[in-house]
Amino acid sequence: MRRHHGIIVLSIIICFLATACMKWEYAGEELFDNTADGIFIINQGNFQYGNASLSFYNPDTKTIDNEIFNRANGMKLGDVAQSMTVYRNQGWIVVNNSHVIFRIDLNTYRETGRIQNLPSPRYICIINPSKAYVSQLWDNRIIIVNPTSMQVTGEITIPNMAPTSGSTEQMILIGKHVYCNCWSYQNRIIKIDTTTDAVTASLPIGVQPQSMVKDCNDKLWVLTDGGFSGNPAGHEPPTLARVDPQTMTVEKRFQMQLNDSPSQLQIDPTGHTLYWINNDIFRMDISAESAPKCAFINACNTKYYGLFISPVDHNIYVADAIDYQQLGMIYRYDSAGNLIDTFHSGVTPGAFAWKGGLDEI
Amino acid sequence: MPLILFAAKPATHRLDELTVTARRPLKELGMVKNTIDSAALHENISLSIADVIAFNSSIYIKNYGRGTESTVAFRGTSPSHTKVTWNGMQINSPMLGMTDFSTIPSFLVDQAVIYHGSSGINTTGGGLGGLVSLSTRPVHQTGLELQYIQGVGSYKTFDEAAGLRWGNRHWQLSTRFVASRSANDFKFVNYDKKENIYDSNNQIVSTFHPVERNRNGAFNDLHFLQEAYYHNNGNRAGLAVWWMRANRELPLLTTDYGETSSTENRRREETVRGIASWDHYHSRWNTALKGGITHTWMAYDYARERTPGQMVPMSTARSHVTTLFGHIDGQYNPVDNLFLTTELSLHQHFVDSHDRNVTAADGSIVALGYKEARAQIGASLSAKWQINKTLGISGILRYEVMGTKKSPLIPALFFDAMLLESCNLMLKGSVSQNYRFPSLNDLYFMPGGNPDLKSESGLTYDIAVAWAKKLGAKTVWNGSTGWFDSYIDDWIIWLPTAKGYFTPLNVKDVRAYGVEFATDLTTQPFNDWLLNLNGSFSWTPSINRGDQMTEADLSVGRQLPYVPRLSAAVTCHITHKRWGFLYKWNFYSRRYTMSSNDASITGSLPPYFMNNIALDYTLPLKAVDLQFKIAVNNLFNEKYLSVLSRPMPGINWEFYIAVKFRNNK
Repeated sequence: MRRHHGIIVLSIIICFLATACMKWEYAGEELFDNTADGIFIINQGNFQYGNASLSFYNPDTKTIDNEIFNRANGMKLGDVAQSMTVYRNQGWIVVNNSHVIFRIDLNTYRETGRIQNLPSPRYICIINPSKAYVSQLWDNRIIIVNPTSMQVTGEITIPNMAPTSGSTEQMILIGKHVYCNCWSYQNRIIKIDTTTDAVTASLPIGVQPQSMVKDCNDKLWVLTDGGFSGNPAGHEPPTLARVDPQTMTVEKRFQMQLNDSPSQLQIDPTGHTLYWINNDIFRMDISAESAPKCAFINACNTKYYGLFISPVDHNIYVADAIDYQQLGMIYRYDSAGNLIDTFHSGVTPGAFAWKGGLDEI
Repeated sequence: MPLILFAAKPATHRLDELTVTARRPLKELGMVKNTIDSAALHENISLSIADVIAFNSSIYIKNYGRGTESTVAFRGTSPSHTKVTWNGMQINSPMLGMTDFSTIPSFLVDQAVIYHGSSGINTTGGGLGGLVSLSTRPVHQTGLELQYIQGVGSYKTFDEAAGLRWGNRHWQLSTRFVASRSANDFKFVNYDKKENIYDSNNQIVSTFHPVERNRNGAFNDLHFLQEAYYHNNGNRAGLAVWWMRANRELPLLTTDYGETSSTENRRREETVRGIASWDHYHSRWNTALKGGITHTWMAYDYARERTPGQMVPMSTARSHVTTLFGHIDGQYNPVDNLFLTTELSLHQHFVDSHDRNVTAADGSIVALGYKEARAQIGASLSAKWQINKTLGISGILRYEVMGTKKSPLIPALFFDAMLLESCNLMLKGSVSQNYRFPSLNDLYFMPGGNPDLKSESGLTYDIAVAWAKKLGAKTVWNGSTGWFDSYIDDWIIWLPTAKGYFTPLNVKDVRAYGVEFATDLTTQPFNDWLLNLNGSFSWTPSINRGDQMTEADLSVGRQLPYVPRLSAAVTCHITHKRWGFLYKWNFYSRRYTMSSNDASITGSLPPYFMNNIALDYTLPLKAVDLQFKIAVNNLFNEKYLSVLSRPMPGINWEFYIAVKFRNNK
């Protein structure tokens, strides 16, 4: 019997000792000073996981640095990093479900400021050093912020948009106007006068305009995703449309198949060639009279989720989320579609930003 | 042939009986199961079934903290692969597929039986991991017993429970009530965030990890259970009604920079379950009839503050889920070594689920959602045959229909063999197939539901040895250890789409295998001392064995996310005269958050050990018994996470006082 008692006591002691070995893990702070140009990759992470991350790829050396925000700052980037905008040597990372925008130094990746308690931020469009617009999901407002003081300074209420199913998405600045596609459960693009912060025009463009670019002629190209079956806001074939931003009229429209899921409309730096994802990668010259029938880059069990055209060498970066639960793969192609490099970034890579900043190229 | 070693002593904690079973009931031939009795279930009124399972088995509980969702996943499967029944009626949400164990107070359950793998097929299909069977039972007492317990604990936590039982020769009545509420605003150091200190030029000069409180974590739960049983001449009629209401805030992530006051993130639920039963017992055959209903109303609200005091809803999900249940079974013992059963059950589900209002193309306001009904029919036949003194075999054939979809015939074979009678050493084994139909959300959720989903299918093998032995005059030791191997195909996972919503797909083929070990030792080392030591351990590789999606796919051959390879639990209960001491310990190894098992900062959660203790003293007075108890959780104030970006409380305590009145005739 004594032997049994010994076993019992020993078991309990082992439990206590094992407990004493427990170690908590969290990030420290790493010093970076990377002056090289390259591409930031914004990895959304998984919704409600808080595992968004930031990567940096140097195309010259073909090297990737992952989790740089976390490593530089000793804290997480947050939950669902949606987009990044580069302006005057600083980067603004919009983290949707953390309700925050972090401003970082582009060389050290250290935070230099933040705007917090935003309802549901998606993109930031910086108009000048004292004014920027922040689009929102499930809200009918665009929030106005001061990117220098990092303070909220006002808001623009979008006319005829219910808050519950409201959405403003990507924004493009042309002259004194900002153009914004209203995506989720919406069907229009809007035009905002940045001097008065008023919506001056609205153009129904099709169900769920997902993304938007500006071409070399200062025309807007808008890609709708067509919604889904049972969507109260509509379900129709997706379209790619050219819009004259001055008159807010549709000049051209290309229709896709009913259940296609096009996304991530991009344009090359010359403003002549459009690229988008529709399972495969497609491209089209802006002067084309019909939509391409064949893909430029075929999907091969890949789940393409992000797309970017390098402003320097026109290389095409395609993000594959794989199963959305592991480090995504980035494929780098030259403009002829030849594979140059592949590398893993973070979970669900969805957006890119050129370090030099488009405004400075 | 149960052998009773100790009877309960009035002044000590009760240990009703210790049994060494030389021959298992034919009904349970070949099954791998563990039973959690009322002593563990009623140990503490603050506990949910999830808490009890965590410390009384090595099953992994994915836990977001008290008052928030807790799901059970065993043998490396997902929560929807665990079937749960309450008094024989399935309580998995037909809408979600899984069961939230945090909404089931252990005080309202009298017995929990965990059937591993194939062993659940006798009761229901679809439990690819297994089955948790929860039941309430009449106590067969005469006279009146009244019990009231109140607990006050850390973070403004208040728990109350009351029980009233009355019985005579024919009737047994029981009324139970549990109420729990808490601000649940524990403090923690938020290592996922940093606060900035700025100089007068708005430059960051210093940073630190803030000490925060768990935000938006309050809960207020209420449960009421009424039971009535009548038995006479081999018949027993019963009625059990359980009503619950939960009003729970959903805590914010550690990475949330929104202000608490500007966020409304709340889940409310009101559920009523009722079941009427009639059992007829005969020397050679039994039959049972059951009829029941479950109705759940659930609301999820997410809103952000637009202007001070004005909240704008972003999600206003509402669902009504009703299930009608009917069941008939029969058991027949034509001869002593043969046991035949048959069973037919029907669940008719109705789901009406809607979320936010959307402005339609024609300007009207439309709520996004779906309304569906689905019938679920299950039938089984089984035969259990004790061939000779050593060997027994059994076979089950099950057939399931879900809406318009039918499962193939589901076979399960079991055997057990007595290897050594002196220590009741038995070898058991089983092989079975199983199917799980997609939930109604999987099929119809708007947006994203995928009506083309296939059923998940599973093939499971089990082999185990079990023993029970008396060691000396005052010690009983029993245990089991076994190997299992499961293959699950067409595993359903929700994945994002380019259109911004998630959709479920049959994407993975998984092999989950491993070793399970459980042991229980009860001894009376000295007079007036009683010691019970219970331990369990699992090694559960749960491996994605599908084909690589692309060459970049690193998930093949890796452990599934949120499935620990190792888990263990130990409880030690010592009673001496009027004193009782309980020590509970559990351990989960590293859990990966990515399918590639990446070693990055957010790619995994560190292993953790948890230690809880409780000390109680019972004071018998003339008319009543008083019991005082203090429970300390997270004894060593460990910093740990069960789920990524969800804080867990440090050391916390709760003090209880219980009053028990008995008027037994």
